Amino acid sequence: MDFSLTPDQELLRDTSRKLLERECPPALVRAHIDDPSAHEPLWRHLAEYTALGTGPAADLCLFLEETGYAAAPGPFLATTGYAALTGDDTATGTVALVDDSTHPFVLEADRVERIAVVSPGPRLAVLDVTDVPLRFVATVDFSRRLFALDLPHLTAQPLAADVYARWRERAYACMAAEMVGTARRIFDMTLSYAKERKQFDVPIGSFQAIQHKLADMSLALERATAAAHYAAMTIDGDDPERARACHVAKAAAGEAARRILKDGIQIHGGIGYTWEHDLHLYLRRATADEYLFGTTGWHLDRLADLLID
Amino acid sequence: MQLAWSPEDEEFRTDLIAFLDEHTPEQMLVGFDFQDVDDERELVPQWLRDWQATLFDHGWMIPGYPSERGGRNCTPVQTLIYLETLASRRLIRSGHFPGYAIVAPSLLEYGNEEQQKLVPAAIRGDTIWCIGMSEPNAGSDLAGLQTRAEVRDDHFVVNGQKVWTSYAMIAQKCFCYVRTDPTLPKHKGISLLIIDVDTPGIDIRPLRHISGTAGFAEVFFTDVIVPRENLVGGLNGGWAITQGSLAHERAGLWVEGVARFEQTIEGLVTLARQQGRAGDPIIRRKIASAYELAASLRALGYKGFASFAQGSSAPEHSYMKMAMSEASKAAFELGMEISGSLAPVTDPVFAASTNRFVHGFFMSFANTIAGGSSEIQRNIIAQRVLGLPRR
Ligand SMILES: Cc1cc2nc3c(=O)[nH]c(=O)nc-3n(C[C@H](O)[C@H](O)[C@H](O)COP(=O)(O)OP(=O)(O)OC[C@H]3O[C@@H](n4cnc5c(N)ncnc54)[C@H](O)[C@@H]3O)c2cc1C
Repeated sequence: MDFSLTPDQELLRDTSRKLLERECPPALVRAHIDDPSAHEPLWRHLAEYTALGTGPAADLCLFLEETGYAAAPGPFLATTGYAALTGDDTATGTVALVDDSTHPFVLEADRVERIAVVSPGPRLAVLDVTDVPLRFVATVDFSRRLFALDLPHLTAQPLAADVYARWRERAYACMAAEMVGTARRIFDMTLSYAKERKQFDVPIGSFQAIQHKLADMSLALERATAAAHYAAMTIDGDDPERARACHVAKAAAGEAARRILKDGIQIHGGIGYTWEHDLHLYLRRATADEYLFGTTGWHLDRLADLLID
Repeated sequence: MQLAWSPEDEEFRTDLIAFLDEHTPEQMLVGFDFQDVDDERELVPQWLRDWQATLFDHGWMIPGYPSERGGRNCTPVQTLIYLETLASRRLIRSGHFPGYAIVAPSLLEYGNEEQQKLVPAAIRGDTIWCIGMSEPNAGSDLAGLQTRAEVRDDHFVVNGQKVWTSYAMIAQKCFCYVRTDPTLPKHKGISLLIIDVDTPGIDIRPLRHISGTAGFAEVFFTDVIVPRENLVGGLNGGWAITQGSLAHERAGLWVEGVARFEQTIEGLVTLARQQGRAGDPIIRRKIASAYELAASLRALGYKGFASFAQGSSAPEHSYMKMAMSEASKAAFELGMEISGSLAPVTDPVFAASTNRFVHGFFMSFANTIAGGSSEIQRNIIAQRVLGLPRR
């Protein structure tokens, strides 16, 4: 087992990190609250990387940690998920899971060309987005856009159950990678604030109450990050542990995100409670992500099924 | 120790219920949420101002006070009945708590005769007050405040900045803590001034809450002239009053807090049924656990209230603020858990019965941060209640 990055992966991580830092500052995420087109300049760059959708999970997850870190708006996650399911990497797309009550809404449907619909069976149909009436669903997270679909009658093809199961596992790992990235953003902001902010003539980070919180946040973050990387490796290695590893990754990411967002705002004190401060842009994404592709509780229940039944 | 209401208490309750049945404004019945206001001028709508005045005029605003202060000289136990009845009907007394809950009791304790004349209007809500304690560099460390008031013959000249001042945008008066002697140790050079918000040199810049709704403001003071007679409680005597202000804030808080928390738990039960999770053993146990917490805190609160009513300061109050604010955050999280994938959806078309939980979750941080954060509360419990050494 080797957790270290290959030179290519290191390059990918550094490039994506720089790209997102430059092209997706907090001001863009904030502008996207009122203006969905604010993501377009960013998308022109991210669109060049959508081929990662059909490549190794480890590479895609590295990239997604950075989009999560930046709370990047736009259809990158959706399109890579679409490509992985359909093999079509020529169009932008998203996936609608009609078969699954844990995932009732569809990501970014108004800014892609195709919608892959998985219906019970499982069966798969690929539609032109222009054929599907969409309804925007407002959530606490302004950086993603969710939609309810009014689906027409589907002419769907059978989808091999194991292909679909593998795609789902990959989706859990991808979601976990994004969440770990967002959690790391909040953690970094909080850690540096704890070093800067003085009360009682000392940095608040010198209080053990704050130190212990940050230590626990850090543990949650590091184990969730490792679990996400491990899950990606089991996918790429077609390892028999992959199902468990992907549930573990999503659950660990959910736990880390929740802990870090709560303690992150608490450690920021009053300033973190304002709209004007950027923290909430990331808090919102971290809060909402837990409910995409199965909640923490749902993944734990599936793990229990695998472990006990 | 006994569990019974006297006939007088029962009569008090009957009178209260009759009053509420007759006077409760319709807007309150439809589930008014005053935290949802976008326009700060609407922060306290007219009907809510009228409601506060009606409560005052009928002696139901602070029933423990005499009638000229909006009460009816009721007993502490009756006050308890009052607060619980209001909370169980989801009624609020006012859209702006600083005046009746902090300024009025502080002026009654520390103000001179002239200043005490401001009390009825503060309680009736005719005057809206804001509290100027926090500054950019003085939050938890309130004694570190730097807004400076220089003493000149018959007035003060105030320069500096307050922040997160709730209601500043709609207030007429500010209960403002200032540094009057920078040469003294930091707790000893602080004074309390009553400052008219429309005095020249005051600049109020609204800040929005994390939800994007109107809430608080930054307040800047540039050479603001404040008459000498607006000093409350003696020059450099402000620190003692800050301790009082927070005690007043806490004393009433828990009763309303626990009762509101019990409402939230009822809401969780309804939600679990609606979402088909009422049979889920994990959800059942978590709801039961939230109830266990609420019920034990309620008992602790009663106990504290009893000793507070007998005039002794009750250590229970220190526990209540921390426990209630953390417990209500956890209850909103449980609501999100029960809502499942609907939890982050705010859209009323899809999430009318679930969206208040994610909203409440974000709002719940106000109470674990403001008025002494949970970490500061733990320090207080450790050091003042348990007698552990300070660092
Ligand atoms: C909704 C809201 C309304 C408010 N309304 C008002 C108002 O009307 N008037 C007013 O004056 N103020 C108001 N405030 C300000 C509020 O009182 C302060 O935010 C609060 O006192 C904390 O101060 P701070 O924000 O500067 O955080 P800081 O004091 O900087 O604290 C940052 C973090 O450090 C922790 N910390 C600080 N000191 C210690 C310590 N010794 N040990 C361990 N941990 C510590 C805190 O718990 C927190 O987690 C309001 C705040 C909010 C959120």
